[in-house]
Amino acid sequence: MLLTIEGLQVKYGKHTALKITSPIVFEKGERIGVIGSNGAGKSTLVKALLGLLPYEGRVVTYLKPQQMAVHMQFNEYATTMPVRCIMETILNTKIKANKELQELISFFDFEQCLPKKYNALSGGQKQKFTIIMVMMQKAELTFYDEVTSGLDFETRQKLTEKMVKWYRDKEDTLLVVSHYYDELEQLADKILVLDQGKVVAYGKKEELFKTYCGQVIFIMDNHENNRELMKNFQMLKAPEHLLAIAGRNKGEEGEIVSILIENNVNFKRSNSDIEIMFMNAKESFYRKQEGKE
Amino acid sequence: MKNKCSFRMVLYELRNINGNFMTHFFGIVFPNIMCFLLAKTVGSQVPEEVRQEVITSITLSMSLVMPMSIMLLGYGALYSQEVERGIPLRMRLFGYSEKSEITAKLIANLIFLTIAFVIFGLFQIIVMDIPKPAFSSFLCLVLSLYLLGIIFLVIAHAFAQIFKKFSITFGLSMFLYFMIMMITGMMGIETQQLPEVLQKIAGMFPMTYVSNDFASFWQGGSYNFMPYIQSLFFLGAISGILLLYSMHKNKRVHLE
Repeated sequence: MLLTIEGLQVKYGKHTALKITSPIVFEKGERIGVIGSNGAGKSTLVKALLGLLPYEGRVVTYLKPQQMAVHMQFNEYATTMPVRCIMETILNTKIKANKELQELISFFDFEQCLPKKYNALSGGQKQKFTIIMVMMQKAELTFYDEVTSGLDFETRQKLTEKMVKWYRDKEDTLLVVSHYYDELEQLADKILVLDQGKVVAYGKKEELFKTYCGQVIFIMDNHENNRELMKNFQMLKAPEHLLAIAGRNKGEEGEIVSILIENNVNFKRSNSDIEIMFMNAKESFYRKQEGKE
Repeated sequence: MKNKCSFRMVLYELRNINGNFMTHFFGIVFPNIMCFLLAKTVGSQVPEEVRQEVITSITLSMSLVMPMSIMLLGYGALYSQEVERGIPLRMRLFGYSEKSEITAKLIANLIFLTIAFVIFGLFQIIVMDIPKPAFSSFLCLVLSLYLLGIIFLVIAHAFAQIFKKFSITFGLSMFLYFMIMMITGMMGIETQQLPEVLQKIAGMFPMTYVSNDFASFWQGGSYNFMPYIQSLFFLGAISGILLLYSMHKNKRVHLE
């Protein structure tokens, strides 16, 4: 066990920003993705785990906050000197003398940025700069809080690919906060769904998908024809422009596929869609809450 | 990864100071220009026999501008901007404690103060006509400048950490800077000319004694240091309390 959260509650004045009632355990080597809308309590969770916010409840770990590495949502550095000097100071090493750091710099194609000042770097370069130093910390637990926010699609894709590649054979425990479902598809094994400061769901990606979506889902455009074709199957919560249909067993799956092919409907079949899982987990959570009330 | 204050950190802080125009201007250019102008204008209005003592007094007053400008204004401005942008927090998350950070900043600023003092000294030797000091008096001045520098840096650091805003920290530092300059006799107004309340307040600042009394034993002689030392302790205690409060306010929660 790397870290356990028990009865964690964070308040900003009278407003409860985060309330975790059931214990949550992070095991060594796990890759946990945290997902939720704005104000869900994602960054509050990261800050509480780092000891940056006062909280009620317990966070049990043998790690000290200083032994955790974090890529915050906003990272700022001095603009009075080249980033090379900042990097060498923070990592307390000389780039020329540190082969591992040189490799990481070239892995992220960051060589040309080293003589520049921080304010002269592009958004993607700024993120890379912090990521390199966070990775060099080699902490047992690393947090990435919206690491690709504000980046264009291509830069975001490339950065995520680099991170996936870097951590592929490593045993580091990661907690990745993101608004981007595709990023979590690639980086996370477990998902923690937060909404309005509450835990909606937590578990392995596949298990959560099975719980809230079934074996497999079919996604297609949401229009009258498709709705009519799929009216006998279970419709899941999905973004407004899409129609998500649950295939609850092999037989049903085959039936849906043949109807769609027969009617020449374009569709996507998936057994791990975080976006649809997220929406349905939320709906199920609030339905249960209403039932309790 | 736990990082302690290192040579690299001090070098980093020196680069940081070097990139701050305010420290250069107020710490090096301003005291020399002010010293020159005041010596020329005030010096020409006093009788010949007291001229050297008056110029010495001006030099001593202006030497005080250096620790105040470098530590209180320059450091205050730079550090409060850093705090506002979350840079110290970022350093903390990379494993640097506030203790190691403030140590590196203090060493770097003392190095810069030394450079400013050497330039000021050279300016005095080359341009100004002040008598050669007794070694003990010179030592007294240097020690005072370093001690005041440390106290002002701690005050500026605490202000920045308490208010977390450049505007408030800089406004407060500026107010303190000009208030001290006015009531301690650094701007030409003699402390004795001030209302009694302000005289009492001035007595709490060590700068009053350096500015008004140090010229009397510049070339030797005796002096009662007790009020001066008491004022140093007083200001030192205030800065210490402010620092402890700011550290308490920003401390991280310990996980179990």
